[in-house]
Amino acid sequence: MTPLQESSPPVTALSATRRPIRIDPDVDFIRILSKDSSNTFKLCMQCGTCSVTCGISPDRAPFPRKEMAWATWGLKDRLIGDPDIWLCHQCNDCSTRCPRGARPGDVLASIRQEIIAHFAVPRFLGRWVKNPKFIPLLLAIPAVLLGLALWARAPIEEALGLSTRITDRIVFPYSSVFPHWILNSFFLFFSALAVLAAVIGVLRFWRAMKAASVENGIGPSGKSVSASFVAALKSIVTHENFTTCTTESSRFLPHFCVFFGFIALLVVTFWVITNGLNPLIQGPFVYPFGFWNPLKMLANLGGAALLVGCALMIFDRIYDEHAGTSTYSDWAFLGTLLLVVLTGFVTELLHYARLVPHRHVAYFIHLVFVFALIVYLPYSKFAHLIYRSAALAFSEYSGRNATKPALSDSEVFKGSKAIKPEDAKNAA
Amino acid sequence: MKIDSLLKKNRSVVAVVVLALVVLPPIGYYAIRDAFPQGNDPFLEKPNPKYQECVRDISWMRLHHMELLKDLRVQVVREGKRNDITLAKCRECHANRSRFCDRCHLTVNLYLDCFGCHNYPESARESMHAVSGSGLPVPRSGLQD
Repeated sequence: MTPLQESSPPVTALSATRRPIRIDPDVDFIRILSKDSSNTFKLCMQCGTCSVTCGISPDRAPFPRKEMAWATWGLKDRLIGDPDIWLCHQCNDCSTRCPRGARPGDVLASIRQEIIAHFAVPRFLGRWVKNPKFIPLLLAIPAVLLGLALWARAPIEEALGLSTRITDRIVFPYSSVFPHWILNSFFLFFSALAVLAAVIGVLRFWRAMKAASVENGIGPSGKSVSASFVAALKSIVTHENFTTCTTESSRFLPHFCVFFGFIALLVVTFWVITNGLNPLIQGPFVYPFGFWNPLKMLANLGGAALLVGCALMIFDRIYDEHAGTSTYSDWAFLGTLLLVVLTGFVTELLHYARLVPHRHVAYFIHLVFVFALIVYLPYSKFAHLIYRSAALAFSEYSGRNATKPALSDSEVFKGSKAIKPEDAKNAA
Repeated sequence: MKIDSLLKKNRSVVAVVVLALVVLPPIGYYAIRDAFPQGNDPFLEKPNPKYQECVRDISWMRLHHMELLKDLRVQVVREGKRNDITLAKCRECHANRSRFCDRCHLTVNLYLDCFGCHNYPESARESMHAVSGSGLPVPRSGLQD
């Protein structure tokens, strides 16, 4: 055996340890990616600059070079179980340094959209939400449903005996047009459906990631699933991955504002809808809140943070050349978020101005957009909330995200399905 | 951007502080609210025992009193029809404006402009400050809307 043979294993060894792969390209998938990233991703020449330059790419099994190869070959089934796609926060360090202008950052963003649509339950909603043709229908659904709920309200109240349940409580104009019991049950019901869809999607995504990691011989790290989720949550709350960006470092502040603004609104909503069950509320719960009520102030500050964050994101997408290509999904999500905040503040101002039909109309429109934001969450770009959290948790769980000191040869081969030195010897 | 880099450097501390600022206020508010003796209860005072009922059904009044007042105004001002329901009559039961009308209206930021013209004396003007939802003083000018 010559030293040359030893260092470069013969081709037969490959087929002995690894089945040959038949490339079965998903042509539709390639077509969609071409449309989203204006065909540039096919320029990739697999130089690997993107994987080297990426600040959050793990030392073992880096990305996005391999994802670029899979994307150009149309290997959708490999991409859907790949957590790396979701580790990317699109800082565009790779896109700006790509010598061929293949824009890996944009490609990963389009793949993420495709994954959201792939795991959508029911499938047709995933298709509808990513197609601008369906905007009227998607907004008409909540408008009609909410309209029906309000229209059918009187007979239901009578049947349930709610209308006669008058207490010492004062009834305010909003509650007479949009009674809280209707809004709470309506939104809880549809949010529960959205949560169900999200849970099914994430479970399927988790299974796909697990299958892929077994195939690639990665993990598990021995960390429990719950510990992995806690670690992922910590990195999400502290915006850890946003801070490794250099090119699009401006993405940190807007997301920080939107994230905590949303949590503030969620906290206030939680206190309002659970007021009857909350043991911490002693004495009467007065709603709606006055302007100087701490909960109202928290909600207003949260709304303001959301508005500022949204505005910064929109400016960034329009004016920053490094922001990457913005697709319909990006604009649809940002637009919905912005409209929810704007209609919310308009409703509040009209309420203070006591304009009677106007404030009810504004509130109705606000509720329609809230429905679009929350109930279409598993299908819109908002689904990054669930899929990225799951992927971050999975990379903790599988240990694939660990940054380790330089590996020795035996460690590189350990656990991987690549050719092991002894296999190569045996085959020879 | 200076704020940006400062935030990024201390991101863990900032995240924990912001999270606390977002989550804790409601807990704190409901924990200390009852410590204020005047409370923030916007519930109605018991009316004058002389009258057993209001001019309309009480549940109707809670929802529609503003419509009744508007209808009465139209009847008196535009149609010249006066009847025995007047603001003075309301006052016989609901004597104290700040403890009756304002109590709810201020709590939810619905400022009244009825009393820009109509005299509805308050006997306890200073108690105004006790009726905002937070227990914080409400600017006097706010009432004029």
